[in-house]
Amino acid sequence: METPLRFDSLLVHGGLEPGPAGATSVPIVQSSAFAYETADALEDVFRGRAAGQVYTRLGNPTTEALERRLALLEGGGTAIATASGMAAITTTVMTIVRAGDEILASSSLFGGTFSLFRDTLANFGITARFVDPLDLESVRAAINDRTRLLFVETVGNPKLDVPDLPRLAEIAHQAGLPLIVDATVTTPYLADGAKLGADIVIHSTSKYINGSGTSIGGVIIDRGVFNWNTARFPHFEPFHKKYRQFAFTARARKLVHKDVGACAAPFNSFLLTEGIQTLALRMERHCSNALVLARFLTKHPKVAWVNYPGLEDAPGHGVATRLYGGRYGGLLTFGTGSKETAFRVINALRMAKNLANIGDAKTLVIHPASTICADYSLEDKALMGVCEDLVRVSVGIEAPQDIIDDFNQALDAI
Amino acid sequence: MNITINGKETTLAENPARTVESLLEELDVAQRQYVTVELSGEILERDAFGNTPVQDGDALEFLYFMGGGR
Repeated sequence: METPLRFDSLLVHGGLEPGPAGATSVPIVQSSAFAYETADALEDVFRGRAAGQVYTRLGNPTTEALERRLALLEGGGTAIATASGMAAITTTVMTIVRAGDEILASSSLFGGTFSLFRDTLANFGITARFVDPLDLESVRAAINDRTRLLFVETVGNPKLDVPDLPRLAEIAHQAGLPLIVDATVTTPYLADGAKLGADIVIHSTSKYINGSGTSIGGVIIDRGVFNWNTARFPHFEPFHKKYRQFAFTARARKLVHKDVGACAAPFNSFLLTEGIQTLALRMERHCSNALVLARFLTKHPKVAWVNYPGLEDAPGHGVATRLYGGRYGGLLTFGTGSKETAFRVINALRMAKNLANIGDAKTLVIHPASTICADYSLEDKALMGVCEDLVRVSVGIEAPQDIIDDFNQALDAI
Repeated sequence: MNITINGKETTLAENPARTVESLLEELDVAQRQYVTVELSGEILERDAFGNTPVQDGDALEFLYFMGGGR
């Protein structure tokens, strides 16, 4: 029997099929639609009798290559690549819930996800309940007959809390709910969906999977392990009947993903298949650089506080160590006491870029309270762990001493 | 042996050991890990592919969720 490839090799070879003329990178199939010789052949594809591409909104060979690789990296299943991480979340939730249903979500979510759940979906009769994902009893108590899913981030962005996902999976599964995990911050390199107990894994592929900040994308990975054939999900019945453990993917592909149209662009899918090949090397460096910077900031007299799960006294350290094998990701936050000093530090940085993104090879900073979370009340910001002096750093893969030197000189400015 | 696959009459060499699983391989059916198989009108459980024999006169449908329509 053939030995399956290990993670680092899957990043390079996973899902790759022989290309034209011996091409070794994934060909960019920049075509809107796909022609068939006969009406019968196209009918077979439309009826689902034959595998094939029809129209790039529904599927595309370049995007399919990316999907195959991402599914393998999460421990198996099927994947749907989308136009963005938010499109992946929207498609997932709309596939599962209907008007009158509730979603149970972590209170420490990325601002865009919080807004989608609390505001946008509320307009369609869907109620979001937010709970502290570290308080397992509150999570259990918040589940009711109308709850349809539990949604958490592996590491809250930017709160950097670290939920115990296998325990949350137990709670969700006992109640017959799928656990949906946004693993953008940790990537499959720190832990795959199988290890975390996730039923569906979502990534904003724009971040670490791309790695260079060149394209926006998202992915939904259905691990094919959740039983949708229950009284909570009567709308899955026709899909379960035909597609069994892949009922979610079938419902998403045949309804929401097809109808919403938030598909991945083939060129972006190509860039992602290129970028992902170096994920292991980059994540190793992101993690080690973040730990070095966190330790430096901890000792700096002008820094009031630092949060990084890799620091031994950080609240998430214990769970992160157990779940992520001693690697803690590339995100850290720190404060210097006020918004004014936070702005002065950001303005004085020379190498780090001030922008709204994470997971780039470059070191990035942002002041979330005045940007990503500017529209939220102080109460909502507190829920998301965003205080007025918080600076979020997405630590890049530059020489660690250059990162330290940059922050050191910037902190001298206050 | 004559069977019907996706509505088309198909003649295969006699093989008493042929199962649904071996047929998928024999016909090089795409995306074998995801394809749904309907045997004479009934959806076949995936874990039964290996021990379900294919017999003369069987009608099989292969169904994909990757396709374009419903």
